[in-house]
Amino acid sequence: MKRTRSGALLVAAALLFGACAAGASPSPAPKQGGTFVVAMPSDINRTDPALIDDATSSYVETQAMEGLVGLKPGSATEIIPILATALPTVSADALTYTFTLRAGVKFHDGTDFNADAVKFNYDRWLNIPAAYTKLEYTYYIDTVIKPNVESVTVTSPTEIAIKLKAPNSAFLLTQTLIVFAISSPTALALGKASDPDFANNTYAVGGAGAMTGTGPFKFKEWVAGDHVTLVKNADYWDKAHVAYLDGIIFKAIKDSSATLNALQAGEIDFAQTMSPIDGKTAAADPKLQVFDRGGSCNLFHLAMNQTHKPFDNPKIRQAVAYAINKQSLIDTFYAGQAVVAHNWMPPGAFGDKDVKLPGYDVAKAKALIAESLVTDLSFDFWYPSDVSRPYMPDPKGEFEALLRDLEAVGFKPNPKTATWRPDYLAAEAGGQYPMWLIGWNCDWYGPDNFLNTAFFGYRNRSDNTFGPNEEYAEKNDAMWQAMDGALKTADTAKAAAGWQQAADLLAADMPTVPLLSSKPPAPAAKYVMGFVPNPALTEYFNTVWLNKQ
Amino acid sequence: MTKFIVRRLLATIPVLFGLSIILFAFIHFIPGDPATAILGQHATAVRIAEMRTYLGLDRPLPEQYLKYVAGLFEGDFGTSFVNGQAVLTEFLRKFPATVELTVAAMIFAAGVGIPLGRFAARHVQRWPDGGVTIISLLGISIPVFVLGLTLQYIFAVQLHWLPASSRFEARSALELQTNFVLIDAWLMPGWSIDQKVGAFIDGVRHLILPAIALGSIPLAIITRITRASVIDVSNEDYVRTARAKGLTEKRIDGRHIMRNAWLPVVTVIGLQVGGLLAGAVITETVFAWNGVGRWVVDAIGDRDYFIVQSTILMFALIFLVVNLLVDIGYAFLNPRIRYA
Repeated sequence: MKRTRSGALLVAAALLFGACAAGASPSPAPKQGGTFVVAMPSDINRTDPALIDDATSSYVETQAMEGLVGLKPGSATEIIPILATALPTVSADALTYTFTLRAGVKFHDGTDFNADAVKFNYDRWLNIPAAYTKLEYTYYIDTVIKPNVESVTVTSPTEIAIKLKAPNSAFLLTQTLIVFAISSPTALALGKASDPDFANNTYAVGGAGAMTGTGPFKFKEWVAGDHVTLVKNADYWDKAHVAYLDGIIFKAIKDSSATLNALQAGEIDFAQTMSPIDGKTAAADPKLQVFDRGGSCNLFHLAMNQTHKPFDNPKIRQAVAYAINKQSLIDTFYAGQAVVAHNWMPPGAFGDKDVKLPGYDVAKAKALIAESLVTDLSFDFWYPSDVSRPYMPDPKGEFEALLRDLEAVGFKPNPKTATWRPDYLAAEAGGQYPMWLIGWNCDWYGPDNFLNTAFFGYRNRSDNTFGPNEEYAEKNDAMWQAMDGALKTADTAKAAAGWQQAADLLAADMPTVPLLSSKPPAPAAKYVMGFVPNPALTEYFNTVWLNKQ
Repeated sequence: MTKFIVRRLLATIPVLFGLSIILFAFIHFIPGDPATAILGQHATAVRIAEMRTYLGLDRPLPEQYLKYVAGLFEGDFGTSFVNGQAVLTEFLRKFPATVELTVAAMIFAAGVGIPLGRFAARHVQRWPDGGVTIISLLGISIPVFVLGLTLQYIFAVQLHWLPASSRFEARSALELQTNFVLIDAWLMPGWSIDQKVGAFIDGVRHLILPAIALGSIPLAIITRITRASVIDVSNEDYVRTARAKGLTEKRIDGRHIMRNAWLPVVTVIGLQVGGLLAGAVITETVFAWNGVGRWVVDAIGDRDYFIVQSTILMFALIFLVVNLLVDIGYAFLNPRIRYA
């Protein structure tokens, strides 16, 4: 009897507690209105998505522009249809991608979105003025569209066929880049977006017609060096995802500590990124929250060029890999917000594989140096000044830590530094440095973007031959064949196998030492709701709302 | 006086001409060039050569210089190699921000520094003088960057008394027309007086912390110069005579000491303008202030020649004009000074 009564009381208490718990914190309903102020680490470059190649411009223009496909909110790899009604059908020879387009969609200026508008944009990219290419404004058009796209054909007002020159397993993922968003043909013409003289182009500089797309926000103004303002598109075609916010202001605040101060003072609502140390401070502030992006789309590596001794010796390169304490770097400079690299791409990318890179082992490093029979262990070791990168927040500090690791096993590096732009980037790309710090923030979350585009892909060189790039001078024909084969197949299983084989071959050769992938913190005020973080930094603000009075 | 002013204005022309040549040569001899800056990681020897030809950088330097100067006379100050925007347009848009900041910093530096210097001079070798010396040392020792972030943390983050950054509240409906926030607040069409006053006060509040950060070094210098100048003049015979004649201290201070002590102070204030324009770079970065300073530093890193050349030339012109005004000011402060 006693047990039964006690048991009944317990059940009753549990039910009562559950009811109270359920009633204590109901999810608030989204509130309409408010202006969302976002701090960006730099200003945008241009207001024409086709002519951008930087993370800030992409981030801002993602809110106003849309392409045929995009990334699913929160995912760095899952492709979803946006202005297309479904993912494309691909021909048997993997050359033709046929998209069915949404009907009834209008651009911000009222122009109809249809197959002619899509063709107009692709044709524009294929025939972009040479002056824009000479100014390096067309990086993605030059590396993605022109080498791959042969033609674009309108088969009906709501159907378009994109024909490639050769199969390309990465093509559809590249089309998620906001660079390939569809702009209004009317606005492109109004803004002289293809005028051979860039000085006449207002579309790209925030003038007439700028940033006219189909997205949930519309462009209002760009005050160069200061801010970009977008306003809500109340006529957004996706009625289920019309923005809650009235508008967004993207403010350029270069300094991370100043950004933290502005966030804590309540002047901004969200910071797109922040240094890891400042992110830790933000996490401890009860008025703030830090969104976990779950992963990252960057890689930081210790680079070596094999045309410089002693890095022509593979045992020396392996010794360098064993000499580095990667976890210590993460604990010291990233507030723990990074993962040790296990490949030359971040975890979770298509074709990713743990290639079992060397761990921290001083004895093993020393043994490899002895086996190499190399006696002159001195070399110039470079780091950049006047810069902070998401994968390298403190270049000088990290350089000093790596320097100590190398010296501890017997290397004799000579510290050298240069300003990031233009000196450091130009010199390291030209293969002038024996050892240096560098990394890559991805364009898209694919293995080709890291292994091929960023690092070891063979390319046309300054002496007009085709082969290993001058940056790393990694001559590894088997690796290149594996990568090239993976790129040129439409069979995803074969492509994955190709990338994994390439990574295995690189691990055996160790041209550079992958160190880590960092997760840039995303701090915000506590009242910011509905934000969906993404490791690839493709984040949409139409789901964001402000839970404040 | 008119002849003096005209002569001085005409003299700025050869000064600016000489400066433009030195600047042009200096910038072009810095390692690296816009071609490598634009190409960045995509820089190969072939692409660099192509880019240099496209930008006209492969032409002989004298030809490039003459083309640039010819453009100046036509009002064409060049375009940015990085984003293609016209240099003059961008300069005119950003310069008001730097002017507002430097004027506010100078008002702070002179408005606090002169009274502090006078106060210290009146209490020489006693503890108030020591206190002012400490303030001066702190002002000149603390890096502007550190001071700026510290001021933000204390007054914006902790106390919420003042804003942390920018020129006005981000969510404000203020639209810039002249790009002087304190003027544009009054020009907004359709706004009530309350709204205009509110926007003006908002602009002033945003100016306070960056003005203090930027003005800290000039404050220290002006304080010390004022103190020294007042002490020097106070020891002159005519001041002792005035006291012996029974004049009040207030009259002695106003008519005899300060009128003569002003000259070196005014000189220093004029010279500080150059320092303020340079110091604005760091302050503008910390406070996300969209002025010329930050723009020029980025342009130096990018080897964006036209921005650097044109902006420094304009700064030089401003410096020359300010110092002309200082010289004119001497004549009013000291009637014995006459310009032929």
